[in-house]
Amino acid sequence: MTSPAVGTELAPVVVALTQEKINRYALAGGDGNPLHTDPQFAAQTQFGGTIAHGMLLLAYLSRMLTAAFGEAWLRGGRLKVRFRAPARPGDTVSAVGRVVRAESGRTVCAVECRNQAGETLVSGEAEVTA
Amino acid sequence: MPPRLDTLAKGHEFPATHFELSAEWVEEYAAAVEDEAIGLLGPELVPPMAVAALAVRALLERAALPPGAVHIGQEMTFRRAARVGERLSASARVVSRGERQGWLLMGIDLSVDGEGGPRMEGRATLTMPVAEERP
Repeated sequence: MTSPAVGTELAPVVVALTQEKINRYALAGGDGNPLHTDPQFAAQTQFGGTIAHGMLLLAYLSRMLTAAFGEAWLRGGRLKVRFRAPARPGDTVSAVGRVVRAESGRTVCAVECRNQAGETLVSGEAEVTA
Repeated sequence: MPPRLDTLAKGHEFPATHFELSAEWVEEYAAAVEDEAIGLLGPELVPPMAVAALAVRALLERAALPPGAVHIGQEMTFRRAARVGERLSASARVVSRGERQGWLLMGIDLSVDGEGGPRMEGRATLTMPVAEERP
């Protein structure tokens, strides 16, 4: 697979987040933290309601990077991100990325997950070695 | 009952946990994250974040998250593609622990190995309210 040029926007992944999807991830990922799955518990927290697992948002980023870089992402990908804001049921989450550097077989992308209001939920860098 | 994460000291090492990437579980995971991209590469390949998710699950079996714990940062490096049916082992260690303004900040290194070498490694950064009573 050919590495995209600097400035290339990766094909985004857009997901309509629901509580059902969060619950499904909680089961698959074995993370039953009630902050994600129990609306009554989550209502008493600083978030005021349930939020998606951070690892679920990273799975959307990884899906985008798999589509862009193929097996190179699976065997040489690096991801470094900060979680900036929670993703909530009802949000439309877009995982986006742009190539910012390409040198010596390394491609570095700025990556983000955003909600429908354009708020950054996750931001960071992904790097793929060819 | 596993100990709470916020009671663990810097340097604490979690016992290795072994797991298998069963076809059923990989299918369940890929459906949960709506990952169609991995299927285009090959039916035997496993989404790399699935390996990370299993490592986190293994960690959660060894330490309970205290109420209010929040995942604030993640680093990970994928070393080699994992395949359906592989048996992997995950290990973890508390590498940092500090307090600021009533919040505890912890860094936990995770690594996953399989036959033939490492599959992934990474660091999770979590924050949680400082417990009123300490062990």
